[in-house]
Amino acid sequence: MTAIIETRTLSKKYGHALAVSEASFTIEPGEVVGFVGLNGAGKSTTINMLLGFQNPTAGEVRLFGHRVTPVNAHKSHARIGFATGDMSLFDDMTGEQYLAFVARAYKQKFHTPMFDSLVERFKPQLKKKISTLSRGNRQKIALVAAFMCEPELVILDEPSSGLDPLMQQAFLDLVREESARGVTIFMSSHYLAEVADVCTRILLIKNGVLTKDIPTSELELTSGKWVRVVTKQKVMPPKSADAVKREKNGDDYVLEFIYKDKALRLQEWLGTLPNLRDMTVSDHNPEAAFEELYEETDQKEEGVQNV
Amino acid sequence: MFNVLAKTLRDKRFFILGWSFGLAFLGFAMVSFFPSFGGDQITGFLEAMPAALQGMIGDMQDWKDLPSYIGSQIFDIRLSIIITIMAIILAIGLTVGEEDKRQLQTLTALPISRTKIAFAKWLAVVLISGFAVLATALGAEVGLLVINESLDQMVLVRLVLSTWLMVSALVTVILALGLATGKRAITTVAALIITVGSFLLTTFSQSVDWLEKFSPASFFHYFPAAEIARGTVRWEDAVVYAGLIVLSLVVTFIVFPRRDIKS
Repeated sequence: MTAIIETRTLSKKYGHALAVSEASFTIEPGEVVGFVGLNGAGKSTTINMLLGFQNPTAGEVRLFGHRVTPVNAHKSHARIGFATGDMSLFDDMTGEQYLAFVARAYKQKFHTPMFDSLVERFKPQLKKKISTLSRGNRQKIALVAAFMCEPELVILDEPSSGLDPLMQQAFLDLVREESARGVTIFMSSHYLAEVADVCTRILLIKNGVLTKDIPTSELELTSGKWVRVVTKQKVMPPKSADAVKREKNGDDYVLEFIYKDKALRLQEWLGTLPNLRDMTVSDHNPEAAFEELYEETDQKEEGVQNV
Repeated sequence: MFNVLAKTLRDKRFFILGWSFGLAFLGFAMVSFFPSFGGDQITGFLEAMPAALQGMIGDMQDWKDLPSYIGSQIFDIRLSIIITIMAIILAIGLTVGEEDKRQLQTLTALPISRTKIAFAKWLAVVLISGFAVLATALGAEVGLLVINESLDQMVLVRLVLSTWLMVSALVTVILALGLATGKRAITTVAALIITVGSFLLTTFSQSVDWLEKFSPASFFHYFPAAEIARGTVRWEDAVVYAGLIVLSLVVTFIVFPRRDIKS
């Protein structure tokens, strides 16, 4: 089966700064892939190259099996929906005029069942001029535009930033439904919780380097528990503890770690502690796991940014 | 492509209206002033003027008969400057202006080729320039009715078409600069050098000997409006402007579809 997105050693330099370095990945039909990284990690630059807004300095992009360049990118765009978190829409138009313009560009009818369901879901303000809308309301229109023509692939660059919690949830529900219909979704974000919620796979980018390509289920396994114990005597952490931190607080010894093994073993270990004064066990949330993933790649990335 | 053209014209509707009304008023006002310049006073004034400054206001013949007056005082001296400013604002707004606002990225994300986007923008600027020139001529026609003068309609037809060609060439060059570079500073500076430099060169080459040999480098050298009004149309001038249009479009269609878009 032809991959929907395929990049081979994709790189982009701005002057001497390397924004993306030899990123190679493949996205198969129907996958929902989260593209995660901090601000400036290279997410948007990668997406700009995927959509043919920018030329790669090296490497190539293939969409639906065809090599994409700025010259021919529009051919792929007929099968792609695209939205960013701060998309610049045409201010002088109303939401309705903008969406009608988009439908004409895709050579499709404007009022379709899909359009109606998107309007029902997001309740965008269609009659007002875009220039008068808040960021969140503009974002709703951008999301309707991305999905209304029922594309095979949807590329989203930090799509939920600007949306209120209810609309964020509506957006995540939409992603799940579209994924169930077989739509491929490539979504950048710096919120791992959002990505972990809907994506089947996560690509982690740091300083322009693709550092992880893991199924979301693996991320959930690695998220584990955060454990903090305070004892009167110095104790050793369990064997499977990660990210161990120790400190002396007056007469007490504080031990913190991430625990990823079976709960029963943790319970047994806690029972062996002498003079236990305090104890906290909580979920190690996806954001913390994100930080951990980032820390793992710290040494690997040194010296890559400026070449 | 017509989707983008219609959008561009719609976006610029107030720009078109504003400039068209303004230029129509210019045409009307200048024609309605014509009877005031018929006497000996203006002749005396022109004779007393230093030769170096006469290029700025035209020679005496241009003030005496109506076709020359319209050609020189409206289309040559005033309209060419005013419409040049309009062309710069228009072309920069539709190219680097939209790119800086990231609206070009939104447009290129749609299934429309960059060549079609560039062509639609070009058609829009040429049409808008045409509206502006036509509005000036309509204003002049109203002025003729007010002063109760008649004019061979071919005078205005020749002037409108030649001015439209000149402005289209200028706006195409600026559009090409904007679309090919995507850089506001480069486009603005180049547009100002072309227009201000051309204006100064054309004006002063009439009285400064050593400048005369450089006058073909002026953009306005190929637009002798007073001569066109009197019936002399030099086709080689039209070829220069048409050549500039074709060259600019070729550069646009080669460079713009291949370059990085700001995001």
